[in-house]
Amino acid sequence: MRDDTLIGLIFVFVPLSLLSIGGGSAIIAAIQHEAVVVRGWIDSREFINLFAIARAAPGPGTMLGTLIGWKVAGWSGALVATLALYLPSSLLCYGVLKATNSHRDKKWHRAAREGLAPVGTGLVIAGVIAIFRLSGGGVLGAGIAGASAAVLLLAPRFPTLAVLGLGAAAPFVGQLIVP
Amino acid sequence: MTANPQEAAGSGGAAAAAAAPSLFALFLVCLKIGMFSFGGGLSGWLHQEFVRRHGWIEDDDFASLLAIAQMLPGANVVNLVICMGDQLRGAAGAAIGVFGFLVGPFLAVIALSTAFDRLPDVAALEAASQGVAFAAIGLLLVICLRGVQRATRFPPGLVVVAVTAICVGLLRWPLIPAVLVIAPLSVALAWRRA
Repeated sequence: MRDDTLIGLIFVFVPLSLLSIGGGSAIIAAIQHEAVVVRGWIDSREFINLFAIARAAPGPGTMLGTLIGWKVAGWSGALVATLALYLPSSLLCYGVLKATNSHRDKKWHRAAREGLAPVGTGLVIAGVIAIFRLSGGGVLGAGIAGASAAVLLLAPRFPTLAVLGLGAAAPFVGQLIVP
Repeated sequence: MTANPQEAAGSGGAAAAAAAPSLFALFLVCLKIGMFSFGGGLSGWLHQEFVRRHGWIEDDDFASLLAIAQMLPGANVVNLVICMGDQLRGAAGAAIGVFGFLVGPFLAVIALSTAFDRLPDVAALEAASQGVAFAAIGLLLVICLRGVQRATRFPPGLVVVAVTAICVGLLRWPLIPAVLVIAPLSVALAWRRA
Protein backbone atom coordinates (compact mmCIF):
# COMPACT_ATOMS: atom_id res chain seq x y z
CA MET A 1 0.00 0.00 0.00
CA ARG A 2 2.72 2.42 1.05
CA ASP A 3 4.92 1.35 -1.83
CA ASP A 4 1.98 1.88 -4.14
CA THR A 5 1.67 5.42 -2.87
CA LEU A 6 5.35 6.14 -3.45
CA ILE A 7 5.14 4.76 -6.97
CA GLY A 8 2.01 6.85 -7.47
CA LEU A 9 3.94 9.96 -6.45
CA ILE A 10 6.60 9.15 -9.04
CA PHE A 11 4.01 8.59 -11.74
CA VAL A 12 2.30 11.89 -10.96
CA PHE A 13 5.30 14.15 -10.49
CA VAL A 14 7.86 12.94 -13.04
CA PRO A 15 5.70 13.84 -16.08
CA LEU A 16 4.67 17.12 -14.47
CA SER A 17 8.34 17.93 -13.88
CA LEU A 18 9.00 17.71 -17.60
CA LEU A 19 5.78 19.54 -18.46
CA SER A 20 6.32 22.52 -16.17
CA ILE A 21 7.36 24.73 -19.06
CA GLY A 22 7.56 28.36 -18.05
CA GLY A 23 7.95 27.48 -14.39
CA GLY A 24 6.29 25.75 -11.49
CA SER A 25 3.12 27.81 -11.58
CA ALA A 26 2.29 26.14 -14.89
CA ILE A 27 1.57 22.82 -13.16
CA ILE A 28 -0.24 23.86 -9.97
CA ALA A 29 -3.63 23.16 -11.54
CA ALA A 30 -2.46 19.77 -12.79
CA ILE A 31 -1.07 18.86 -9.34
CA GLN A 32 -4.43 19.77 -7.84
CA HIS A 33 -6.27 17.63 -10.38
CA GLU A 34 -4.02 14.60 -9.87
CA ALA A 35 -3.77 14.76 -6.06
CA VAL A 36 -7.41 15.63 -5.34
CA VAL A 37 -9.51 14.25 -8.18
CA VAL A 38 -7.57 11.38 -9.75
CA ARG A 39 -5.67 9.92 -6.81
CA GLY A 40 -7.81 11.22 -3.93
CA TRP A 41 -4.73 11.70 -1.73
CA ILE A 42 -6.15 14.88 -0.18
CA ASP A 43 -9.40 16.85 -0.41
CA SER A 44 -9.77 20.33 -1.93
CA ARG A 45 -9.66 22.12 1.40
CA GLU A 46 -6.43 20.37 2.35
CA PHE A 47 -4.99 21.27 -1.04
CA ILE A 48 -5.75 24.96 -0.50
CA ASN A 49 -4.07 24.77 2.91
CA LEU A 50 -0.98 23.10 1.49
CA PHE A 51 -0.86 25.66 -1.32
CA ALA A 52 -0.98 28.48 1.25
CA ILE A 53 1.79 26.84 3.29
CA ALA A 54 4.02 26.40 0.23
CA ARG A 55 3.51 30.09 -0.57
CA ALA A 56 4.29 31.21 2.97
CA ALA A 57 7.43 29.07 3.19
CA PRO A 58 10.72 30.14 1.62
CA GLY A 59 11.84 28.53 -1.63
CA PRO A 60 10.09 27.72 -4.91
CA GLY A 61 6.29 27.41 -4.95
CA THR A 62 6.51 23.87 -6.30
CA MET A 63 7.53 22.70 -2.81
CA LEU A 64 3.77 22.09 -2.81
CA GLY A 65 4.70 18.69 -4.27
CA THR A 66 6.93 17.97 -1.28
CA LEU A 67 4.04 18.77 1.04
CA ILE A 68 1.68 16.44 -0.78
CA GLY A 69 4.27 13.66 -0.54
CA TRP A 70 4.64 14.41 3.17
CA LYS A 71 0.86 14.28 3.69
CA VAL A 72 0.41 10.92 1.95
CA ALA A 73 3.55 9.04 2.98
CA GLY A 74 5.58 10.94 5.57
CA TRP A 75 9.32 11.50 5.15
CA SER A 76 9.79 8.98 2.35
CA GLY A 77 6.83 10.49 0.50
CA ALA A 78 8.25 13.99 0.85
CA LEU A 79 11.63 12.82 -0.43
CA VAL A 80 10.23 10.82 -3.34
CA ALA A 81 7.90 13.65 -4.41
CA THR A 82 10.71 16.21 -4.24
CA LEU A 83 13.08 14.09 -6.31
CA ALA A 84 10.34 13.20 -8.81
CA LEU A 85 9.45 16.86 -9.23
CA TYR A 86 12.94 18.39 -9.50
CA LEU A 87 15.30 15.71 -10.78
CA PRO A 88 13.93 15.15 -14.32
CA SER A 89 13.73 18.85 -15.21
CA SER A 90 17.13 19.48 -13.61
CA LEU A 91 18.80 16.74 -15.63
CA LEU A 92 17.21 18.08 -18.80
CA CYS A 93 18.39 21.60 -18.01
CA TYR A 94 21.92 20.34 -17.35
CA GLY A 95 21.90 18.34 -20.58
CA VAL A 96 20.88 21.39 -22.61
CA LEU A 97 23.64 23.43 -20.97
CA LYS A 98 26.26 20.78 -21.72
CA ALA A 99 25.13 20.56 -25.32
CA THR A 100 25.53 24.30 -25.87
CA ASN A 101 28.43 25.17 -23.54
CA SER A 102 31.02 23.39 -25.66
CA HIS A 103 30.38 26.14 -28.22
CA ARG A 104 30.90 28.90 -25.69
CA ASP A 105 33.77 30.53 -27.58
CA LYS A 106 31.97 30.64 -30.90
CA LYS A 107 30.56 33.87 -32.18
CA TRP A 108 26.99 32.56 -32.35
CA HIS A 109 27.10 31.49 -28.73
CA ARG A 110 28.15 34.94 -27.65
CA ALA A 111 25.45 36.48 -29.83
CA ALA A 112 22.93 34.07 -28.31
CA ARG A 113 23.85 35.07 -24.79
CA GLU A 114 23.82 38.79 -25.63
CA GLY A 115 20.55 38.45 -27.50
CA LEU A 116 18.88 36.48 -24.72
CA ALA A 117 19.82 38.98 -22.01
CA PRO A 118 17.20 41.63 -22.93
CA VAL A 119 14.62 38.87 -23.37
CA GLY A 120 15.39 37.69 -19.82
CA THR A 121 15.01 41.23 -18.50
CA GLY A 122 11.70 41.63 -20.35
CA LEU A 123 10.45 38.37 -18.85
CA VAL A 124 11.26 39.54 -15.33
CA ILE A 125 9.29 42.74 -15.98
CA ALA A 126 6.42 40.61 -17.31
CA GLY A 127 6.66 38.48 -14.16
CA VAL A 128 6.42 41.54 -11.94
CA ILE A 129 3.33 42.68 -13.86
CA ALA A 130 1.75 39.22 -13.47
CA ILE A 131 2.49 39.01 -9.73
CA PHE A 132 1.05 42.46 -9.22
CA ARG A 133 -2.08 41.60 -11.13
CA LEU A 134 -2.60 38.40 -9.14
CA SER A 135 -1.97 39.93 -5.74
CA GLY A 136 -4.11 43.03 -6.32
CA GLY A 137 -1.10 45.07 -5.22
CA GLY A 138 -2.53 48.60 -5.18
CA VAL A 139 -0.73 51.66 -3.86
CA LEU A 140 0.54 49.92 -0.72
CA GLY A 141 2.02 47.05 -2.71
CA ALA A 142 3.68 49.35 -5.23
CA GLY A 143 5.00 51.48 -2.38
CA ILE A 144 6.52 48.51 -0.55
CA ALA A 145 8.02 47.05 -3.72
CA GLY A 146 9.46 50.43 -4.76
CA ALA A 147 10.87 51.15 -1.31
CA SER A 148 12.42 47.70 -1.11
CA ALA A 149 14.07 48.11 -4.53
CA ALA A 150 15.37 51.54 -3.49
CA VAL A 151 16.94 50.15 -0.30
CA LEU A 152 18.54 47.27 -2.22
CA LEU A 153 19.96 49.59 -4.87
CA LEU A 154 21.17 52.35 -2.57
CA ALA A 155 22.45 50.13 0.26
CA PRO A 156 23.77 46.94 -1.38
CA ARG A 157 25.14 45.70 1.95
CA PHE A 158 21.77 45.96 3.71
CA PRO A 159 20.65 42.36 4.42
CA THR A 160 18.01 41.15 1.98
CA LEU A 161 16.21 39.33 4.79
CA ALA A 162 15.87 42.60 6.72
CA VAL A 163 14.26 44.18 3.64
CA LEU A 164 11.66 41.39 3.67
CA GLY A 165 11.17 41.92 7.42
CA LEU A 166 10.43 45.60 6.85
CA GLY A 167 8.00 44.52 4.14
CA ALA A 168 6.22 42.26 6.63
CA ALA A 169 5.79 45.19 9.02
CA ALA A 170 4.68 47.66 6.34
CA PRO A 171 0.98 46.61 6.06
CA PHE A 172 0.56 47.15 9.81
CA VAL A 173 2.21 50.57 9.66
CA GLY A 174 -0.03 51.30 6.67
CA GLN A 175 -3.10 50.44 8.75
CA LEU A 176 -2.00 52.92 11.43
CA ILE A 177 -1.65 55.74 8.90
CA VAL A 178 -4.77 54.94 6.88
CA PRO A 179 -7.15 53.09 9.24
CA MET B 1 32.43 36.83 -19.97
CA THR B 2 30.21 38.61 -22.47
CA ALA B 3 31.34 42.16 -21.79
CA ASN B 4 34.81 43.49 -22.36
CA PRO B 5 36.54 45.03 -19.33
CA GLN B 6 35.73 48.63 -20.26
CA GLU B 7 32.05 47.85 -20.53
CA ALA B 8 32.04 46.02 -17.24
CA ALA B 9 33.76 48.90 -15.51
CA GLY B 10 31.35 51.34 -17.12
CA SER B 11 28.32 49.51 -15.78
CA GLY B 12 29.32 50.53 -12.26
CA GLY B 13 28.15 47.15 -11.04
CA ALA B 14 29.73 44.09 -9.55
CA ALA B 15 33.32 43.21 -10.30
CA ALA B 16 33.66 41.75 -13.79
CA ALA B 17 35.05 38.32 -13.02
CA ALA B 18 35.66 37.51 -9.40
CA ALA B 19 37.34 34.16 -8.77
CA ALA B 20 34.95 31.21 -8.93
CA PRO B 21 33.72 30.32 -5.44
CA SER B 22 34.56 27.10 -3.64
CA LEU B 23 31.86 24.43 -3.68
CA PHE B 24 31.29 25.07 0.01
CA ALA B 25 30.81 28.82 -0.53
CA LEU B 26 28.38 28.04 -3.35
CA PHE B 27 26.51 25.63 -1.09
CA LEU B 28 26.28 28.16 1.73
CA VAL B 29 24.92 30.92 -0.49
CA CYS B 30 22.31 28.60 -2.00
CA LEU B 31 21.36 27.32 1.46
CA LYS B 32 20.93 30.86 2.70
CA ILE B 33 18.74 31.87 -0.24
CA GLY B 34 16.66 28.71 0.08
CA MET B 35 16.04 29.25 3.78
CA PHE B 36 15.35 32.98 3.76
CA SER B 37 13.59 33.65 0.46
CA PHE B 38 10.15 34.25 1.94
CA GLY B 39 7.53 35.73 -0.34
CA GLY B 40 8.93 34.63 -3.69
CA GLY B 41 11.17 36.76 -5.89
CA LEU B 42 13.81 34.05 -5.78
CA SER B 43 15.53 35.10 -8.97
CA GLY B 44 15.93 38.48 -7.29
CA TRP B 45 17.70 36.81 -4.38
CA LEU B 46 19.93 34.91 -6.75
CA HIS B 47 20.77 38.14 -8.58
CA GLN B 48 21.45 39.91 -5.30
CA GLU B 49 23.90 37.24 -4.13
CA PHE B 50 25.53 35.88 -7.30
CA VAL B 51 25.80 39.13 -9.25
CA ARG B 52 25.76 42.05 -6.87
CA ARG B 53 27.18 40.77 -3.59
CA HIS B 54 29.75 38.22 -4.75
CA GLY B 55 30.36 39.23 -8.36
CA TRP B 56 30.50 35.60 -9.47
CA ILE B 57 28.21 36.10 -12.47
CA GLU B 58 27.91 39.10 -14.78
CA ASP B 59 24.63 40.92 -15.27
CA ASP B 60 24.34 39.99 -18.95
CA ASP B 61 25.14 36.34 -18.27
CA PHE B 62 22.59 36.32 -15.48
CA ALA B 63 19.86 37.73 -17.70
CA SER B 64 20.55 35.33 -20.58
CA LEU B 65 20.74 32.32 -18.24
CA LEU B 66 17.45 33.47 -16.74
CA ALA B 67 15.84 33.46 -20.18
CA ILE B 68 17.10 29.90 -20.79
CA ALA B 69 15.99 28.80 -17.31
CA GLN B 70 12.49 30.11 -18.00
CA MET B 71 12.21 28.40 -21.36
CA LEU B 72 13.06 24.92 -20.08
CA PRO B 73 10.62 22.89 -17.99
CA GLY B 74 11.12 22.90 -14.25
CA ALA B 75 11.07 25.56 -11.56
CA ASN B 76 12.78 28.58 -13.13
CA VAL B 77 14.92 29.33 -10.12
CA VAL B 78 16.11 25.73 -9.78
CA ASN B 79 17.13 25.79 -13.44
CA LEU B 80 18.85 29.12 -12.86
CA VAL B 81 20.82 27.64 -9.94
CA ILE B 82 21.86 24.75 -12.19
CA CYS B 83 22.98 27.15 -14.95
CA MET B 84 25.00 29.34 -12.60
CA GLY B 85 26.37 26.43 -10.55
CA ASP B 86 27.52 24.78 -13.76
CA GLN B 87 29.11 27.96 -15.09
CA LEU B 88 31.01 28.44 -11.83
CA ARG B 89 31.98 24.92 -10.81
CA GLY B 90 30.74 22.46 -13.42
CA ALA B 91 28.51 19.49 -12.65
CA ALA B 92 29.46 19.44 -8.96
CA GLY B 93 28.58 23.11 -8.69
CA ALA B 94 25.17 22.55 -10.26
CA ALA B 95 24.40 19.55 -8.03
CA ILE B 96 25.59 21.13 -4.79
CA GLY B 97 23.87 24.40 -5.63
CA VAL B 98 20.50 22.72 -6.17
CA PHE B 99 20.90 20.57 -3.07
CA GLY B 100 21.74 23.60 -0.92
CA PHE B 101 18.94 25.56 -2.51
CA LEU B 102 16.21 22.96 -1.87
CA VAL B 103 17.14 21.43 1.49
CA GLY B 104 16.03 24.49 3.50
CA PRO B 105 12.59 24.86 1.86
CA PHE B 106 12.13 21.07 2.07
CA LEU B 107 12.40 21.16 5.86
CA ALA B 108 10.59 24.50 6.10
CA VAL B 109 7.39 23.39 4.36
CA ILE B 110 7.21 20.26 6.51
CA ALA B 111 7.80 22.26 9.70
CA LEU B 112 5.19 24.83 8.66
CA SER B 113 2.62 22.20 7.79
CA THR B 114 3.17 20.57 11.18
CA ALA B 115 2.68 23.93 12.88
CA PHE B 116 -0.22 24.99 10.65
CA ASP B 117 -2.97 23.12 12.52
CA ARG B 118 -2.05 24.87 15.75
CA LEU B 119 -2.25 28.42 14.43
CA PRO B 120 -5.42 30.02 15.85
CA ASP B 121 -5.66 33.12 13.65
CA VAL B 122 -4.07 33.51 10.28
CA ALA B 123 -5.34 37.01 9.41
CA ALA B 124 -2.25 38.76 10.79
CA LEU B 125 -0.04 36.16 9.15
CA GLU B 126 -1.82 36.84 5.85
CA ALA B 127 -1.17 40.59 6.03
CA ALA B 128 2.46 40.07 6.98
CA SER B 129 3.12 37.59 4.19
CA GLN B 130 1.48 39.98 1.71
CA GLY B 131 3.95 42.63 2.83
CA VAL B 132 6.85 40.20 2.44
CA ALA B 133 5.65 39.30 -1.05
CA PHE B 134 5.61 42.96 -2.10
CA ALA B 135 9.08 43.51 -0.67
CA ALA B 136 10.20 40.46 -2.66
CA ILE B 137 8.88 42.16 -5.81
CA GLY B 138 11.42 44.86 -5.00
CA LEU B 139 14.15 42.23 -5.50
CA LEU B 140 12.82 41.60 -8.99
CA LEU B 141 12.62 45.33 -9.72
CA VAL B 142 16.37 45.51 -9.11
CA ILE B 143 16.93 42.96 -11.90
CA CYS B 144 14.60 44.96 -14.17
CA LEU B 145 16.44 48.22 -13.50
CA ARG B 146 19.89 46.70 -13.98
CA GLY B 147 18.78 44.95 -17.14
CA VAL B 148 17.26 48.10 -18.62
CA GLN B 149 20.35 50.05 -17.64
CA ARG B 150 22.60 47.63 -19.51
CA ALA B 151 20.22 47.46 -22.46
CA THR B 152 20.51 51.23 -23.00
CA ARG B 153 24.05 50.63 -24.31
CA PHE B 154 22.44 49.06 -27.36
CA PRO B 155 19.06 50.67 -28.17
CA PRO B 156 17.62 47.70 -30.10
CA GLY B 157 18.13 45.69 -26.89
CA LEU B 158 15.93 48.19 -25.10
CA VAL B 159 13.22 47.59 -27.71
CA VAL B 160 13.53 43.83 -27.10
CA VAL B 161 13.07 44.37 -23.34
CA ALA B 162 9.97 46.49 -23.97
CA VAL B 163 8.42 44.16 -26.56
CA THR B 164 8.96 41.10 -24.33
CA ALA B 165 7.50 42.83 -21.29
CA ILE B 166 4.47 44.11 -23.23
CA CYS B 167 3.68 40.85 -25.05
CA VAL B 168 4.11 38.49 -22.09
CA GLY B 169 3.27 40.86 -19.22
CA LEU B 170 0.54 43.19 -20.48
CA LEU B 171 -0.96 41.28 -23.42
CA ARG B 172 -0.49 37.95 -21.59
CA TRP B 173 0.72 36.05 -24.62
CA PRO B 174 1.92 32.55 -23.69
CA LEU B 175 5.57 32.72 -22.70
CA ILE B 176 7.07 29.96 -24.83
CA PRO B 177 5.78 30.97 -28.30
CA ALA B 178 6.42 34.64 -27.54
CA VAL B 179 10.03 33.93 -26.60
CA LEU B 180 10.46 31.60 -29.58
CA VAL B 181 9.61 34.56 -31.84
CA ILE B 182 11.38 37.36 -29.97
CA ALA B 183 14.60 35.56 -28.95
CA PRO B 184 15.84 34.68 -32.46
CA LEU B 185 15.24 38.28 -33.60
CA SER B 186 17.15 39.58 -30.59
CA VAL B 187 20.01 37.12 -31.17
CA ALA B 188 20.16 38.17 -34.83
CA LEU B 189 20.46 41.81 -33.74
CA ALA B 190 23.28 40.90 -31.36
CA TRP B 191 24.97 38.91 -34.15
CA ARG B 192 24.89 41.87 -36.55
CA ARG B 193 26.25 44.16 -33.86
CA ALA B 194 29.21 41.87 -33.11
